[in-house]
Amino acid sequence: MKLTTLAVRNIKRNFSKYVMYFFTLSFSVFTVYSFRALIQNQYVNAAMTYDVRYRTMLAAFGVIIFVFVMFFLISSNASFIRARKKEISMYSLFGMSNGKIGKLLFTETMFVGLAALVVGIGAGVFFSKLIAMILLDITLAEFTGDIAFTITPQGVYLTAIPFLFIFCVMGLSGLRVISKFELVDLFKAEKVSEGKSKGSILVLILSLTLIGTGYYLAATSGSDVIIGAAIPILILVIVGTYLFFWGGLPKVLSWMKKRKTKYYRGQNLIAVSALAHRMRSIGSTMATIAVLSAVATTAVATGFNLYQNIERNTYGILGYDLYFYGGQEELLDDVFSAFESYDVELIGDYTTERLQVKPKNNILAFDGNVEYYNPEQDYFRVYSQSVCNELLALSRVNSKPIQIKEGEAAYVRSFWSNVPGMTEEIERAIMAEPLQFSNQEIRVTSFLDASFISFGAVHTIVLNDADFTELMAAGDIMGVDSSGEPFDQVTVFKYNNALKAGKFNRKVNQILSGNVGKYRSAYNHYTESLETFGLVCFIGFFMSVVFILMTASLLYFKQIMAAEEERHQYEMLRKIGMDSQVERRVITKRLLPVFFIPLVIGILHSIFAMKTADTIVFSNMIAAENSYLVVLAFSGIMYGIYAIVYGVFYFITKRQYTRIVG
Amino acid sequence: MLLLKVENISKIYGTKRGAKQYEALKRISFEVHEGEFIGVMGASGSGKTTLLNILGSIDRPTNGRFMLDGADITALNKRQLAQHRIENIGFIFQDYNLLETMTLKENIILPLALHGCKVQVMEERLRKLGGDLGILSILDKYPYEVSGGEQQRAAACRALITNPKMILADEPTGNLDSRSGRALLELLTQINRTYGTTILMVTHDVFAASYCQKIMFIRDGEIYHELYAGDDKQKFFDSIIDVMSVLGGEKQ
Ligand SMILES: Nc1ncnc2c1ncn2[C@@H]1O[C@H](COP(=O)(O)OP(=O)(O)OP(=O)(O)O)[C@@H](O)[C@H]1O
Ligand SMILES: [Mg+2]
Repeated sequence: MKLTTLAVRNIKRNFSKYVMYFFTLSFSVFTVYSFRALIQNQYVNAAMTYDVRYRTMLAAFGVIIFVFVMFFLISSNASFIRARKKEISMYSLFGMSNGKIGKLLFTETMFVGLAALVVGIGAGVFFSKLIAMILLDITLAEFTGDIAFTITPQGVYLTAIPFLFIFCVMGLSGLRVISKFELVDLFKAEKVSEGKSKGSILVLILSLTLIGTGYYLAATSGSDVIIGAAIPILILVIVGTYLFFWGGLPKVLSWMKKRKTKYYRGQNLIAVSALAHRMRSIGSTMATIAVLSAVATTAVATGFNLYQNIERNTYGILGYDLYFYGGQEELLDDVFSAFESYDVELIGDYTTERLQVKPKNNILAFDGNVEYYNPEQDYFRVYSQSVCNELLALSRVNSKPIQIKEGEAAYVRSFWSNVPGMTEEIERAIMAEPLQFSNQEIRVTSFLDASFISFGAVHTIVLNDADFTELMAAGDIMGVDSSGEPFDQVTVFKYNNALKAGKFNRKVNQILSGNVGKYRSAYNHYTESLETFGLVCFIGFFMSVVFILMTASLLYFKQIMAAEEERHQYEMLRKIGMDSQVERRVITKRLLPVFFIPLVIGILHSIFAMKTADTIVFSNMIAAENSYLVVLAFSGIMYGIYAIVYGVFYFITKRQYTRIVG
Repeated sequence: MLLLKVENISKIYGTKRGAKQYEALKRISFEVHEGEFIGVMGASGSGKTTLLNILGSIDRPTNGRFMLDGADITALNKRQLAQHRIENIGFIFQDYNLLETMTLKENIILPLALHGCKVQVMEERLRKLGGDLGILSILDKYPYEVSGGEQQRAAACRALITNPKMILADEPTGNLDSRSGRALLELLTQINRTYGTTILMVTHDVFAASYCQKIMFIRDGEIYHELYAGDDKQKFFDSIIDVMSVLGGEKQ
C-alpha cells in the first residue's frame, strides 16, 4: 500500500481525534492571519497613521500571539502523538521501519496542516472585515465608513510560510518521538506509572507564601512603588503558581486521601486517585493555564474598565460638554449660531466671572509644616451658592445643589487634595483654621466633590449668598488681576449627544482655537482617550479570546487523550458494580477540578492584578469613593464571561469523555 | 441448598434481524448448590466467558432466566443489577483488572466504598482477609510495583471483601506461572472451604480444573458433559483429559 493512501486512510479512521486537532490548527492559522490582515488593512492604517505608537503596539502584540500559537501547537502535537502511540507501535511491530513511520506521520501532518491552512486563512479572509470594523468601531468615536472586503496577499503568504515551517517541524517531531522510545515502552505506555508526585508540605507552604507575598505587595503598595514592584510581583506569583501545581496540589490531594471517611466513598476514591495519578503530567499544563487565564482576564478586565470609564472619566475631569474662558463678546454669537447650523440641541449655557479672594491668614499648613496656602502667591476661587448651583446644574456630573449657612463655606475637593490616605488629614487641617477676611471670618465646614468648577484654581470655596455680597462690598473679592485687567469669564454649555456631534465639534474647534484663554470640549477629550484606550481594549479582547479558546482546547485535548487511556478502568469499575449514576458523578469529579482549579486561581491572580491596575490607573480615573470596587464590578462581568466559555468547554469535554469511556 | 438455578439461557450476538447472528449459548440449564466449587471448561469460542458474564450480570441473556437465592436476576433493572453485583458477586479476571491509579488497598476496598460502607468495617474486613491471603505487607503498593501473583491475590481479595454469595473467575491462573497458579488455586479452595463461598471458575488448564468438585464442559454453547471429582484425584485428572481431548480444547 502506498504511504499516502495509508495516511489518508488513517485520517479517515481517526476522524474524531483529528477533528479537534484540525480545529486547533485552523484556529491558530486564523488567529495569525487575522492579525496580519489587520496590520495591513488600509482602513486601519489610514485611521492610525498619525501615531506610530499604535502600529508598534499592534506589531508587538502580533509577535506575542505568534509565540503563543507556537507553544500551543507544539504542546497539542505532543499529546496527539502520545494518543497514537499504540497505533504507531503496531506499525513498528509489523516491521515498518522508523523512517517509514516518520514519513507516514509527516505526510499526515502535512495533509491536515495544508487543509488547516486553507480553512484558517479562508475564515480569516471571511472575518477580516468584521475584525477591522470592530477595531475601528471601538477606537474611533464616530466610525461610519464602510470597509471594503479585501484579501491581503501579503498577509496570506506571511501567514502561510511560517506555518508551513511549523507544520514541517511538527511532522518531523513525530520521528523524534518514535526513535526515542523502545518498542516495549510503546506498548507499556499506559501501564507504567507517570511518576506520581506525592507533593511536599514544604513546596505547598513555599508556593502559598510566594503567591501570598505577591498578593500582599499588589494589594498594599502605593502608587509610588508599585511600578517598580510589578516585575517582582509577577515573578513571585508565577513561580508560586507552578510550585503549587507541581508540589502543593499533590500534597493537598494526599491529605484528602488521609481523610478516610470522605475519601473512602466510592466516587471520591476513584476521582481523587485518578487526579492524583495524573497530577505529574497535567500539573504544568494546569499551571500554565492558570497563568494565561490570569493574563487574559486581567487584559480584558483592564480594557473593559478603561473603555467603560472613558466617558465617566471625561466628564469627571471636564464636567461639561464644552466650556471656554475669555473672548465671550466676539465669539459667543458664533458658537450659538454653530449650534443652530449643525442642528445640535442646546440644553443650557451659563456665563460667570472667575473671581478670586485672598484670605488674610498667614501661611496655612497641615501636618504642621506642609503649606497649602500662602497669601503671597495663592488665592481661592470663590462662588456664591447660587452661582455654584447654576454651574452644578449644567454639569454632566451628578451633583446635587448645595446649601450653605452664613459664616460657613464649602471647600471644593480638587485633585491635589485627592491623594488617597491624605485626604482626611488635609480636610481636618482646612476645617481647623477659619479664613480671615476684612470684616469677618468664615470657616470651612463641608466639602464638595466638583473639581471641574475650579476652572484653573487650586483652591475653590463656595459661600452663602449674603456672605458673598458682604465680601464683595468689603472689597475682599477681586475681579481684576494685579495689572488691573479683569479675569476671563467662563461659559459652560450642556447639549444633547455631545460625544457624537463630530461635525459640530470641528466647527467649535475652528471658532475657539487660538481665540480664547482656554477651551475644552468633552468630544475632544473623549476621542483622544478612545484612540489610546480603544486599542488597548481591542488588544485585551483579542488576546483573551485567543488565550481562552486555546487554553480551553488544550485542556480538552489532554482530557480526551486521558479518556482513551482510562477507558478500561471504567469497564472494570462497571464490572464490580459501579452504576451509571455513580459513574456520572465520578466523571464530574474527575474532570471538574482540571477546569475549575486553574480558572479560579487565574481569576484570583487577576483580582489582585486589578488592584495593581487600580493603584496605577483607575484610582486617578474613577471619581468614586472606592475605585477598586467599581473596577471589580466591571472585571466581574469579564470573569463571568470567561467562566461561561470555560464552562461550555467543560461540558463539551465531559460529553466527549463520557462517550469514550462509556 | 440451591444457590443458582439457570433456566434455558441463550445468548445471540449480532443484530436481531441482521444476517450475521451468532448463537453463543443455546438454551443452557443447570443448577449450582451453595458451597460448590465448579469448573467450566471447553474449547476456545465455546461460550464460557459469555456464560460467566451473564451469570455475573455484566451481560444480559437473549432468552431464558436465572435465579440467585430464589430471586430472578434477569428481571432486575440496571441500577438493581449494579447493586446486585456489589452485594452478591465477586469477580476475578485473567488480567487482574486492578486500577493502576490506586494502591492495592484502595483497589480492594473499592467495592465496599462504592457500596457506601463505614471506614471501620472496611479496615476490619481488609485486615482479616489480607491476613488470610498474605498480602498485608504490600497493601500500600501500586499494582505495577508488585508481581502478577500478588496482583491476582489482591484481585481475589477484592472479590471476597463484600462476602459475595458467588465468585466468578475467568481463567484466573491464565497469566500466572505454575507456582503462583497453584498458590491461587489453593487459596480459592481454602476460601471455598472456610467461607463456604460458591465458586465458578472458567479454565483451560486441566491441572487447575482438578481442584474443582465438579466440571461442566461446554461445546458450541451447550453443556456437553459433567464430571464429578471422586476420591481419586488422579482418576479425575485423567477423565478430564479424556473429555478435553474429545473437545479438542486442551491447552497443555
Ligand atoms: N460481543 C460479541 N459480539 C459478537 N460475537 C461475540 C461477542 N463476544 C463473543 N462472541 C462470540 O461468541 C462466542 C463465544 O465467545 P466466548 O468469549 O464466550 O468464548 P470463550 O469460551 O470464553 O473462549 P476463550 O476460551 O477463547 O476465552 C465466540 O465465537 C465469539 O466469537
Ligand atoms: Mg473466554
